Amino acid sequence: MKKISVDHLARVEGSGGISATIDGKVVTDVKFSIYEGPRLVERLTVGKTPEEVVNIVPRICAICTISHKYAALRAMENALSIKVSTKVSLLRDLMHLGEMIESHSLHIYYLTLPDYVGFPSAIAMASKFELEVKVALEMKEFGNHIMKTASGRYIHGENPVIGGFGKFPTREELIWIRSRAIQFMPFILKTVSLFCELDYPDCPEEDTVYACCHPDQNKYGLVGDEIMLSTGEIINKDDYKSLTNEFVVSHSYAKHSRYREKPYSVGALARVNNLGEKLKGQAGKMYKKYFNPRWRRNPLFNNAAQALEILYAFERIPKSVDKMLRLSSSPIAEYTKKEGKGTGIVEAPRGLLIHSYEISDGLVSYTDLITPTAQNAEDIERYCYIAAQKLLEAGDEDKIKDRMDLVVRAYDPCISCSAHMAEVKKAPAEDWKAKLAAIKEKAPPMFVGVGNRNRSDDGAGVELALELKKLGVCDVYLESELEKHRILWEYKDLRPLILFDAVDFKEAPGKVTLLPLNYVIDKTRLSHKILPFISMQMRYKHLKNAYMLGIQPESIEEGTKISRPVRQAILKVLKEIKN
Amino acid sequence: MEKKIKDKLKIGIYELTGCAGDALLILDCEKELVDIFKAADIQSFLMAKSDNIDGELDVAFVEGSVSTEREKKELLDIRKRAKTVVAIGICACFGGIQAAFLDKKDWEKNFKKVYGDNKMTHTKPLQSKPIDAYIKVDYYLPGCPIDKEQFLSTFNRILRGNPPELYRFPVCVECKWNENDCLLNKDILCLGPVTRAGCGSICINHNLPCVGCWGPVENANLTSEFQLLREKGFDSDFIKKKMANFSGTGIADFLGELKGEKR
Amino acid sequence: MRIIKLKKDNLSPFLEIISVEADLWAPVQKGDKHVFKVVDDFSKVELNTTRTILPPRKIFLPPTFSMFNISEKGYKEDLSHIKKRILFGIHPCDIHGLLILDNLFKQAYLDPYYLEARKNTLILGLSCWPDEYCFAKSTNTHIIEEGFDLFFTDLKDFFLVWIGSSQGDDLIRLKPELFDENLTDKDIQTYINWHTERDKAYKWSINFTVLPDLIELKYMDPLWEKLGNSCLACGSCTNVCPTCNCYNIMDKQFLGGKDGKMIRHWDACTLEEYSEVAGGENFRKKRSDRLKLWYTHKLQAYISKYGKPSCVGCGRCIATCPVDINVRTVGKALLGEEEDAFWVRLNMEVTK
Repeated sequence: MKKISVDHLARVEGSGGISATIDGKVVTDVKFSIYEGPRLVERLTVGKTPEEVVNIVPRICAICTISHKYAALRAMENALSIKVSTKVSLLRDLMHLGEMIESHSLHIYYLTLPDYVGFPSAIAMASKFELEVKVALEMKEFGNHIMKTASGRYIHGENPVIGGFGKFPTREELIWIRSRAIQFMPFILKTVSLFCELDYPDCPEEDTVYACCHPDQNKYGLVGDEIMLSTGEIINKDDYKSLTNEFVVSHSYAKHSRYREKPYSVGALARVNNLGEKLKGQAGKMYKKYFNPRWRRNPLFNNAAQALEILYAFERIPKSVDKMLRLSSSPIAEYTKKEGKGTGIVEAPRGLLIHSYEISDGLVSYTDLITPTAQNAEDIERYCYIAAQKLLEAGDEDKIKDRMDLVVRAYDPCISCSAHMAEVKKAPAEDWKAKLAAIKEKAPPMFVGVGNRNRSDDGAGVELALELKKLGVCDVYLESELEKHRILWEYKDLRPLILFDAVDFKEAPGKVTLLPLNYVIDKTRLSHKILPFISMQMRYKHLKNAYMLGIQPESIEEGTKISRPVRQAILKVLKEIKN
Repeated sequence: MEKKIKDKLKIGIYELTGCAGDALLILDCEKELVDIFKAADIQSFLMAKSDNIDGELDVAFVEGSVSTEREKKELLDIRKRAKTVVAIGICACFGGIQAAFLDKKDWEKNFKKVYGDNKMTHTKPLQSKPIDAYIKVDYYLPGCPIDKEQFLSTFNRILRGNPPELYRFPVCVECKWNENDCLLNKDILCLGPVTRAGCGSICINHNLPCVGCWGPVENANLTSEFQLLREKGFDSDFIKKKMANFSGTGIADFLGELKGEKR
Repeated sequence: MRIIKLKKDNLSPFLEIISVEADLWAPVQKGDKHVFKVVDDFSKVELNTTRTILPPRKIFLPPTFSMFNISEKGYKEDLSHIKKRILFGIHPCDIHGLLILDNLFKQAYLDPYYLEARKNTLILGLSCWPDEYCFAKSTNTHIIEEGFDLFFTDLKDFFLVWIGSSQGDDLIRLKPELFDENLTDKDIQTYINWHTERDKAYKWSINFTVLPDLIELKYMDPLWEKLGNSCLACGSCTNVCPTCNCYNIMDKQFLGGKDGKMIRHWDACTLEEYSEVAGGENFRKKRSDRLKLWYTHKLQAYISKYGKPSCVGCGRCIATCPVDINVRTVGKALLGEEEDAFWVRLNMEVTK
């Protein structure tokens, strides 16, 4: 057994790692780990005034600081029934576009491009791509400049406040931003072509669900009061929990999310996939030129989507500024309400960001913050698993590490989104025995024997189950009994479920492998009746707690004879379970 | 003239728990970034490069608070390897916003509220603390985030073997330099007098009071500020909370004394 | 000294003409206070102001500026921030403040930055009307007889303009038709009446002559500890004082072979770092000791050398200090008079 791990993910904002455990020819474990400590932001905001909370929460993440500020303001203003003037909304949008430009250009040029052109850093890359690095820097600096002008500082500016702004930028400052944005256009168009034409590997490619804010007025946009999914569903912001269903996972203090028992993705790619048709101007043209169905299945295209969004931002800035120049500055809106509940959603550069608060007696009494990276964590692990397993099968084991790195980085994870994050220890390298012991330690597992007894070794799973039953072990079922025991799929307590089956891992006959069940489904290795049960009826949280104990068959010819190595394997497993 | 790599100081930039804003700000030194990489041998800077080495260092810049057992280990290792350690940002200097639960029991209670009884299988989380709770720190560069100018000048001075030269006075000094009208005199709760300068009094320049995000200034007269705000009609608990929001462990003694007095 | 007359309406055209070749600094509104700023829109110039937030010394020695450019070849004085300037709207007390700074910066070591800026700036004074904080009459700085190129006394319908220097006269000659050489008896009577009324308008006064002795006599008085208990050590009293002049210097070095700079910034003896020396020893670690230094300098030491206090009665410390430590409350306390001040109340609270 060996483990490939990218221990310190470099060139992401924050510190984290990803690891894949490989057992022979099978990837048995993929974990996306965050080394950030717990910050308890959701707790330390309780008991504070809405204004203080708006000061504190952007500190969750420096690179999404504006988005956090914006989401918090929207949530607080919803809770306190505050309406802001059009000029305030426009300036907020402008600072948000600034962050989008800053974050996306940092990400695609500094953090991602070195991977595709073979350099360890943008600085090193500058020897060959001097112009790109230089102009990208200027572009990023321009994004920073907008953020500074609107919010007061590069990072954690306090100028945006509940009800408006402490101070509006001057006419001259706005006009400068407008003309600078126009100057950049030729380079931006080149940027889009560069990143849309990069040769993105076709592994991993697999469907997922995309979620983003549903902007008002049926336009492309970065804020809204509803969440839209690639499935066509629309969710009101106040019902965000029906999307996110956050839960604690034992291997990470970053809570994970999933929608309808499935992982989903958020970010630039989600926005372009869901809303790309609505892009206008040059961005619309570029979308039509480059968009293809692979974008819907391959997370690496997030970099292309980010480039497209930079163009969108640059086209929007002059329009926003023009509108702002026609409006006079408004004072900070006052409010008297002391109670309320409110949710605010915005698109952070790396995806849907949700802030939800309850205020009672003028103080925040409940805080819920759902960051994009928390939502993406499940899909990051899933896509890394798919990539790792595929590469392993293709004999490209040496590529796994870099590919996983590429996938994680494509998601642009903002690892400091540590509203709930804590250190995560990588799964120690263990064989199936240790793993089985660990599962048993959590709770007594239930077992299901799967297979066809008339196809020699394929009957190993059923054989094993029958032997266990003979030994008087509780909660052992056969595949054929599943209909009868529907309880299996409706169990409320999270007891682990272990399936026994003969699985062809192309290993030596009799080799036992224990791995998460969803890995086996993803590979469609299961051809038995149980498959529809698992994919249709099993809840995701149960699936995440279900395992496959696979035994490599020697033969699955017709007949009832079980081969020697498989027989020995069955005995070994029996012994371990009994212990 | 560009120095040969062996003559350059070996520098590491590290991030513990925090918002990564200080490391990001270093990346935000767009124009100077190439010069930084030319002038020093940047051995480790996770946000900027992937060929990082954990070797002997002349200077380590450390951002973030220590919030897990793993970070504690990493920090002790950095201290062993580095001749000089510079704490950057208020999380490294004072613990930051996450050091708000000063009382261990209080922290444990709140930790439970977020994570429930889930058994965490890996390293132990720790109550967030500034890095000097575990190691000797040579210099402190406060800020939330640090200021670009201040970082560059510190970086430069350290490269030349000089100690940093920082503003050690409160925000009020810069605020007056910017010719702002004092907000305290308008009965607005402003933490300028007890907060370390360096930000350029940015909030007051925007007609907004100082929230204290650079952490406490050395020997701040917290008692006078506290009583002044009380006299202006602010509630004691509210003032305490406000003072504690960004100061981490920096004013723990003062808050402890107040608790004892039960005003 | 020649005195002429200027109609109110002619002021803007005059300012416009004289500012063609120099930056015109004048008081403009900032929030509900005033500040000196370079103006191009003359309608923004405020005539009825009291004190600006910062004194006009900021125009001569900005809060921070570069003194030297440093390169491998050595260092070069940087006077690039100094331009031709006209300062309009400066009140008598603030002109006195500049005269005090002149004394200090022309002592043993000439300060080239201050003197160069002084040389390049014309002073166009303007009369003022006291508010509740002003006490310039106590320091005898409410009128001015020197230190200006022109001085405008605002008599409602017109200005009387004192021509204080040949450079001032040159300004008048740019457009003499704006002015009226002939003063009537009525004009003179208007001025006399204004003068008398203004003298009466000072709402409070303090006897400065006894203060130097009192500072000596009460050097060990518990008063200083009381002040120290409340002082926020924010440096604001120093920053707003027209006669404070201490500064600190900092090296700024840059990467990439760029020239370094030596930055000079305002310092304040009320700040802790001020009395710290190499090795970390601090002679005035206590706030009370630092305040004592400030007041001794203003009210005793300067008087023994120059025969007048280093205080011009502008009232900025009174308007600025959030905890009411200012020349009025400290002066009155030295005189044994009871003042209502935050620092008094805080000490009562502490000893309670």
